[in-house]
Amino acid sequence: MKRRIKKWTPYFLLAPALIYYGFFWIRPVIRAFYESFTNLEGKMSLINYIEVLNEPVFKEAFTNSMLFAVVSVILQFVLAFMLALLLNKKFKGVKLLLFIALIPMAVPPTAVAILWRTGFSTYGWVNNLLMHINLIEQPILWMTADGTSALMFLILIDTWTVLPSVMIILLAGLQNMHKEYEEAGYVFGASKWQVTKDIVIPILKPTIVTAVILRLIAAMQIWMISVMMFGFGRVPFLVERIAYYTDIVPMLENSYKMSLTYSVVVTVIVLTSVTIYLKFSNRQRRI
Amino acid sequence: MSTKKIMAKTTFYIIIVTVLIAVLLPFFFFVSSSLYSSYEVYQFPRSFLPKMSFDIMVTWEDDMYQLHVYDDEDDFYELMIYTSNIDDFRIFLKRELSIQLTNEEIESDFSASKTGGPVYETYKKDLLYNFKTFFSITNNADKAILNSVIAAGWTILISLTLGSMAGYAVARYGFAGKNKLNLSLLLVRMFPAVAIAIPMLVYLIKMGLNNTMFGLAIVYSVGNIALTAWITSSIFQGINVELEEASVVFGASRFQTFLKITLPLAFPGMVACSMYAFLGAWNDSITALILSSNNPTLSLLIYKALGMSGTIQLSAAGAVILIIPALVFTFIIKNYINQLWGDVKL
Repeated sequence: MKRRIKKWTPYFLLAPALIYYGFFWIRPVIRAFYESFTNLEGKMSLINYIEVLNEPVFKEAFTNSMLFAVVSVILQFVLAFMLALLLNKKFKGVKLLLFIALIPMAVPPTAVAILWRTGFSTYGWVNNLLMHINLIEQPILWMTADGTSALMFLILIDTWTVLPSVMIILLAGLQNMHKEYEEAGYVFGASKWQVTKDIVIPILKPTIVTAVILRLIAAMQIWMISVMMFGFGRVPFLVERIAYYTDIVPMLENSYKMSLTYSVVVTVIVLTSVTIYLKFSNRQRRI
Repeated sequence: MSTKKIMAKTTFYIIIVTVLIAVLLPFFFFVSSSLYSSYEVYQFPRSFLPKMSFDIMVTWEDDMYQLHVYDDEDDFYELMIYTSNIDDFRIFLKRELSIQLTNEEIESDFSASKTGGPVYETYKKDLLYNFKTFFSITNNADKAILNSVIAAGWTILISLTLGSMAGYAVARYGFAGKNKLNLSLLLVRMFPAVAIAIPMLVYLIKMGLNNTMFGLAIVYSVGNIALTAWITSSIFQGINVELEEASVVFGASRFQTFLKITLPLAFPGMVACSMYAFLGAWNDSITALILSSNNPTLSLLIYKALGMSGTIQLSAAGAVILIIPALVFTFIIKNYINQLWGDVKL
């Protein structure tokens, strides 16, 4: 009898979440997938996908999203890991430093966009600062950036705001790690770098995978900062297109279908890239 | 001290200083932007700190008052406006210099210039002028703040309860379909929130939950339950099973063990989860735009009101209002993390 209860425990624990997902995730998701394959009359059709692929900005939105995800995730992971190692040490003022480092995470994307827009507008505080320290004579027109430089701009802004959230996951992992492994490494004469590379990173692997995947998923969905910095269409992204069809032109005959279809496209792309990343990280583990 | 040690120490401090500058400098300039008056914004280059007061000079010529404002950069009084209409002065002082005065006060201060030559005055600037303007142009801002808090509260409650239960099951029990479950938790996160929000609108209308914060929280929780389950399961895995087994050996039930042993050890992680839930709800604006446009959250309100606005100082004020609660929440959370600082080791 007791054994039977034990056998069912995990299902009892899982049931609420699963029921929730049945109602509030699978049902709308299925609906979205189904509707993306029907035309306006409700008949099965590929018309939505043809329209999305034929949209002039689709290619640019696709390339931008991919580039943004790859570059920002690599940059953010490296920086966050260094920062987490630093903050895992015990030194005077570490608590204060942690809090300060966490501040950007608490800044909502809307505010982040406003923060940097007030900074990079012609009479913003960046130009003001640069002129005060005599680096420039005339205000620089930052906001006229486009193409790759605008994309890099957005990557840097994004890095400023999400770095702490990557860092805190890694830091939590480091804190939960058994210190003995590290100490053992030092006892056997390994250098700091060797201990980090051969002991800390392998043990931290699940945490690292978690942090990278979460970033990858979120990076694929960037839109707000781009829209508020440059407006719609300047630096298009896939989710920015969704926002465009729901916020700017919600009354077009096919806006609803377009945004739905874009969301399915984004989902498929995110799914594929995470699967590729997981395959890659699993293979590394075996070696 | 060896050279190597000095190098390490130097690098250490360089990193710390870089972090401090990278975070605090933009923040400082941003907050000070929200305190500028219009006049100051267009002075360029301007001082780093917003002015607290303005020195003005009033002269009487051609039956009109002439208002000059002192420009400390170039050390002279710049003529700004001349008119005989006191109302125009009041509006100018308010809009351009953030100085709030009544017509009577202006009249009585200025009138001396008619006979006794230039009148010099120092008027105190209303530092919070941009914030007041923000609340007056968006007449439902306080409701929106409350909405954001309620939505975040529901999101934390739903996702922490359901998520940590699932996370514990994944970490501690073997069951059929476990690997598939892990993957599907991931799958949930991969679906853009907008993509759930659009079809969810129909269901929420059916349940009468559109334009409500509970309805919004339902959608916010979708991603957060998975995230919470995922984070907590890796945390539970990191907690030694021997500790739990020891507790069971001493006669505690599995539930008691969970409550007394596992949960306290997982607490920092749970706190981190609730922080993600809070920030997810607080920061979102696109889901709110789709599901609750008639009853906006603060973030949505600011996106709508200031999204494309060119007035630096007003946008900055709105954004500061949006940031403060998130910052306060992070501050509280920080204390929880610090309480357990160094005590998490097993």
